[in-house]
Amino acid sequence: MECDECRERLYPYLDRELSPREVEEVRVHLDDCGGCESSFVFEELFLERVRSSATSDVAPRAVRERLILRIRRDLHG
Amino acid sequence: MADNAFEKEALSYLDALYRTGLRMTRSEADAEDLVQDTYIRALRFRDQFTAGTNMKAWLFRILTNTFINSYRRKAARPQTTEIDDIAETTLNSRMADTGGASAPEPERELIDSIVDSQIQEALTELPERFRDVVLLDVEGFHYKEIAEMLGIPMGTVMSRLHRGRKFLQQRLFALAQERGIA
Repeated sequence: MECDECRERLYPYLDRELSPREVEEVRVHLDDCGGCESSFVFEELFLERVRSSATSDVAPRAVRERLILRIRRDLHG
Repeated sequence: MADNAFEKEALSYLDALYRTGLRMTRSEADAEDLVQDTYIRALRFRDQFTAGTNMKAWLFRILTNTFINSYRRKAARPQTTEIDDIAETTLNSRMADTGGASAPEPERELIDSIVDSQIQEALTELPERFRDVVLLDVEGFHYKEIAEMLGIPMGTVMSRLHRGRKFLQQRLFALAQERGIA
């Protein structure tokens, strides 16, 4: 596998969207190519960082309480 | 599925629905209305939900549909200039040139220097074209689920996700540069 092809699979690989065979092909290339490996490591760290902070915020307490009240009122009349 | 169990599980996704709604509408009032509409629809049509399937995905499908049909037009535009071509020369390609293999320290340092509020702000500033895809991705949905929610092909999900992530990197990299870290 060439570097270009490997980089095209970067996100699908990190997103676990590749078939086992495709994963294996990427791994073989990464074992041999420090440049690609370093890109993959960076992107993985970046995505983890974005996901963890993107999902860390919660609805304000007042909003949550209002929503639950209105939803229950609609549901139970 | 008993009504109480259904309601309890559905409400466990309130935070996820609200933060996504807030980033989609860019308005606290609209986000609250959007989430309320989503739940009211979900509870009215709960017979259409198959117990044992992914309730979070089902609720997000309703949220996304409701947003597209009723809120998108009035959603505030991002204040940042839309970038047509997100350059590939971002953080990553600059860093990759340093050579060497895993655990590159400057990269780790750079990523560690980014604070939550900056990421949350950058998510809100995402251009509309790829915002929805990125917002659904961070909530953990697969390409196929995102494609179904938005009614677009999987290839489009992948390309929008790619560009959205590059946009985030550019924004966050620019912030790091301002602080003299990169």
